Amino acid sequence: MAGKSGREINATPQNSLKKKILSWEGGLVLIFIGVLIFGSVVSPSYTFTNVLREMPKYLAELFMMFAMGFILVIGEIDISVGAIVCLSATLTCFINRAGAPMVVQVIACLLIGLACGCLNGIIATNFTELPTMIITLGTQIIFRGIAEVSMGSGGSIALTDTAGFAKIGGRIGPFPIAFFLIILTAVIYIFVLSRTTFGRKLYAVGSNKTAALYAGIPVQRIRWICMTLIGLMAGICALFMLATTFGANTTTGQGFEMDVIAMCVFGGIATTGGKGNLVGATLAGFTIVCLRIALGQLNMSGQTILVIIGILLIASALIPGISQSISNKKKRAAV
Amino acid sequence: MEKKSVWKRITGSREASLVLILAVMLIVVNILSGGTFLTLNNIYQIFLNNTLTMLMALGMLCVMLTAGIDISITSTLAFTGMIIGMLQKKAGFTNTLLLFLIAAVIGLACGFLNGLIISKGKLAPIICTMGFMYIWRGLAYVVSNNEWASGADVAHFAEFGKAGSPGPLIVLLVAYVFFFVLMKWTTFGRRIYAVGSNAEAARISGINVDAVITWAYTIMGTLAGIAGAMSVSIYASAQPNMQYGKEMDVIAACVIGGVSMNGGRGTVVGTFLGALFYAVLAKALPLVGLDAIWQNLIKGVVVLVVVLVNVITQRAMDKANLERREM
Amino acid sequence: MSANVSEDLILELRGITKIFPGVKALNNVQFKLRRGEVHALMGENGAGKSTFIKVITGVHAAEEGSMYLNGTEVHFKGPKDALAAGIAAVYQHPTIYPELTVTENIFMGHEFKKSGFIQWRAMNQEAKKLLDRLDADFKPTEEMGALSVAQQQMVEIAKALSTHAKIIILDEPTAALTANESEKLYRIVDQLKAEGVSIIFISHRMEDMYRLAERVTVFRDSQYIGTYDVDKITTPDLIKAMVGREITDMYPKPKVEIGKEIFRFENMSRMGYFKDVALNIRAGEIVGLTGLVGAGRTETIQAVCGIVKPDSGKVFVEGKEVTIRNPKDAMDAGIILLPEDRSKQGLILKWGLGDNVILPIQDKLAKGPFKVKNEKAEYALSKRLLEDVDTKAVTIFDGAGTLSGGNQQKVVVAKALAQDNMKVLIMDEPTKGVDVGAKAEIYAIMGDLAKQGFGILLISSEMSEILGMSDRIYTMCKGRVTGCVDITEATQEGLLELSMEKGKEAAE
Repeated sequence: MAGKSGREINATPQNSLKKKILSWEGGLVLIFIGVLIFGSVVSPSYTFTNVLREMPKYLAELFMMFAMGFILVIGEIDISVGAIVCLSATLTCFINRAGAPMVVQVIACLLIGLACGCLNGIIATNFTELPTMIITLGTQIIFRGIAEVSMGSGGSIALTDTAGFAKIGGRIGPFPIAFFLIILTAVIYIFVLSRTTFGRKLYAVGSNKTAALYAGIPVQRIRWICMTLIGLMAGICALFMLATTFGANTTTGQGFEMDVIAMCVFGGIATTGGKGNLVGATLAGFTIVCLRIALGQLNMSGQTILVIIGILLIASALIPGISQSISNKKKRAAV
Repeated sequence: MEKKSVWKRITGSREASLVLILAVMLIVVNILSGGTFLTLNNIYQIFLNNTLTMLMALGMLCVMLTAGIDISITSTLAFTGMIIGMLQKKAGFTNTLLLFLIAAVIGLACGFLNGLIISKGKLAPIICTMGFMYIWRGLAYVVSNNEWASGADVAHFAEFGKAGSPGPLIVLLVAYVFFFVLMKWTTFGRRIYAVGSNAEAARISGINVDAVITWAYTIMGTLAGIAGAMSVSIYASAQPNMQYGKEMDVIAACVIGGVSMNGGRGTVVGTFLGALFYAVLAKALPLVGLDAIWQNLIKGVVVLVVVLVNVITQRAMDKANLERREM
Repeated sequence: MSANVSEDLILELRGITKIFPGVKALNNVQFKLRRGEVHALMGENGAGKSTFIKVITGVHAAEEGSMYLNGTEVHFKGPKDALAAGIAAVYQHPTIYPELTVTENIFMGHEFKKSGFIQWRAMNQEAKKLLDRLDADFKPTEEMGALSVAQQQMVEIAKALSTHAKIIILDEPTAALTANESEKLYRIVDQLKAEGVSIIFISHRMEDMYRLAERVTVFRDSQYIGTYDVDKITTPDLIKAMVGREITDMYPKPKVEIGKEIFRFENMSRMGYFKDVALNIRAGEIVGLTGLVGAGRTETIQAVCGIVKPDSGKVFVEGKEVTIRNPKDAMDAGIILLPEDRSKQGLILKWGLGDNVILPIQDKLAKGPFKVKNEKAEYALSKRLLEDVDTKAVTIFDGAGTLSGGNQQKVVVAKALAQDNMKVLIMDEPTKGVDVGAKAEIYAIMGDLAKQGFGILLISSEMSEILGMSDRIYTMCKGRVTGCVDITEATQEGLLELSMEKGKEAAE
């Protein structure tokens, strides 16, 4: 072509081991190991089997974390997922009490979540002027409101036939079923985000919506898909909640949205979009679960962990900015 | 012609349309309840029950005007409230004014931390305040150490906020008048608007953007702290889980009142009307035969409808402007 | 102190160097402003003019250099200091508060106060006085966001006046204005000058400079080139100073055999933006589309390419009608767009060059039912394309944001070329903010593509570029096509007249 100077542009990616260890995920692995060591030092009962036994209580949330990762990567936020869990669990209890077969209950639980997410998505794509924060603030109150109305003045509802859910909450060997499903979910989500073109589209949307649109990416459809997906994951979360609590009340799922966002941010996903990956979020999620179990064994008030999560959250969000400003200073000096 | 312009002015201004809707709602509810709704006692109850939301809505206005958000407020409230409760129970503090002062100072410090990290650390407001939402709530539990302060522990302090006492309403009145003047008639208030409307322009015209943002969160924190003490006084109890999740009510009240999440738009009057609308709604539902359990559902629908209608009217206005454009 | 005592300098800057992460935005530049003069500051986009202005107004702190105001050295810590010293700026993109009123926009930062409280009435009155002085047609209580760009600019000038500034800097004030509005602005500048205000005027328009300025200072590539008396320097000399060389070989247009019609759209309308626009391109033809800012060129093209939905319109590629509902439909039909705003629409600045180049075609390269990224193919393709357009980069992983404007544009061109089903390439202001060397290279690529039989639509406000490259030129004004001229009959005056004809009619 005209004007070609024959300049070579290098196209070999550079993967150094040092870079990998020094990455965010590398740090998380160290923290994770640190938490495990901390747990076994402070408590003699912090053993492999005990940790696994305690796990199901905390695992259900993690399902939503992966989809929240997608949502944050495209630069959106969804604070209605906790309420979706509540609604989904509540209505499933009703279906259970009506004596529907287990398969119907499971499908209903997932579909209710999916429908709620779909509704969020439809509003978000048809009213693009509104931040998803506002939309989900509204639907969050509505979803929980519907659950409250259907539960009536008692404010709670229980499963009558718990056999099916007990099975879902069961184990294979020492491992809870939820654990395997989490791993499977993690593998799928990590694969989609990091290895497929769809994953790259998510980053494109989160980095620059306009440029993504000009590159032929269906930005609104992707927003809709992600919001619907997190609804479905909230349905799965509700299923596993029911498998440990065998019922729902007005506070079911309260604060879950914040928990999963916190895990994602701790895992290196930026709320501004386009940055981070789910390997980090997965590590962060398990780190927090194991930390919770450790503090639980210490008989520390369960709420003390809130302080630690809060500090981790702010610190992990601050560090990239600080290192950026340091490297900017270096660049400035180098000119 | 004249009539149309009045109508346009009402639909064009968020405050005017809210007043109109509120008036219609009050009249309808009053008729439906057989004239029992608009009694002095009922109106007093509406304000007393919503003192905390209304107070914190002022701070949220400041924060949202800078295009931020603060979801740590009810945690700040619980943390300060818990300390206020324990100071009475364990340390025998009884001076009401002093306790309120302490609460304000603690809240101020909490808010200042938020503001500092958001402005200097360039953290997304939702992340930073989420972090502190966990931290203050956790510390509230640490302070409580599995104990509550209630009943006799806080008996003297509760005099201020118990049913029938004008205390909380006076605080509200003072706060709203103060903020009305602050936001409209002082340069400090206008700086907040400027920063939220266009931070880059504000920087160029010599406004210390970071300081303004820090101030906005500090104000929010201070009000949340005062609300913490107020909560102990009104409910005569301090427990670490108080007002959990209620920050969304405060944000919703602001949104209904026309405060934009993108910053720069919103007024004290609008905030007041938004919070009042929310409060009246809650009080009115039982009177028109809807159980209290319907409250949240209706509230949620109202919030959603308000924001959607907002977008739809804006679109219609834009379209009308385009039609007028000559080609 | 200044060695030149004979000059009455109000402002002098010496040896200014400003560094941004990775780039030297200003390199040892100097500037002298005489009291009461209108001084033009010229240079290509990216020459450092805007940065320089921000150094004067204290927005940016320079790493090196010194500044003298009325002969005394000053150090501005922030914009406030500059304002206090009597320096006000009207920036290129009006720095407005859209939600606030005109009065507030004017007085933000220096409100009238009485015992701590803002005097709204006095401020409104003063604002009215300032607006009357500028002959404005709107009220001070109107919301800023509801005003037109020209009106907003007037508010910005009123803001500068309200600070009683001794030096006013106008950064491309006429860029978004019509001829009429520009004339009004000239009169305001004359008036200010008569009142003894010194003015620094940045503009790309030669006519602005000739009409207003006495002296002109030229920057190029972040460096100071020289200061000249306007009546003593010829236009070619001035251009040479700005671009660094003669521009005889700027437009290497090859001789191309023009073929059959390859692309056509007709009856394109969108309420409030454009109406009944029709245009066609033949194979191997470069078609120019020009008009003033706001004529609706970009909006029309956005509709054709599926970015926004038009109210009506048909698009034909090689004689067959294609339905376009979204950008992907347009791409699949072979209509490729090089968008106007590189950094917002064309590139993801945080990403590497390679990822940017292959983004539109990654699905075609992908493997298997799950569309796994084919990184090997992606690397190879982006390497080849980036080398083809001669991008100055070390690896395909370099961040797009670290490149210069010209090189960024080459990446966008490579991204367009990646789409091998391309039939027509629409280039919207392809050389805006591109340095002269890269400009010539982009023209060369354009000529090359025409030779290969593609149809090219060149949208540009730069007359020389339109005249240099096109075979046929369309003009638009106020949302309508006002003319279609063959290159053999086209003149700069003729095109300008067509671009403004209807605008003038409407304004009178």
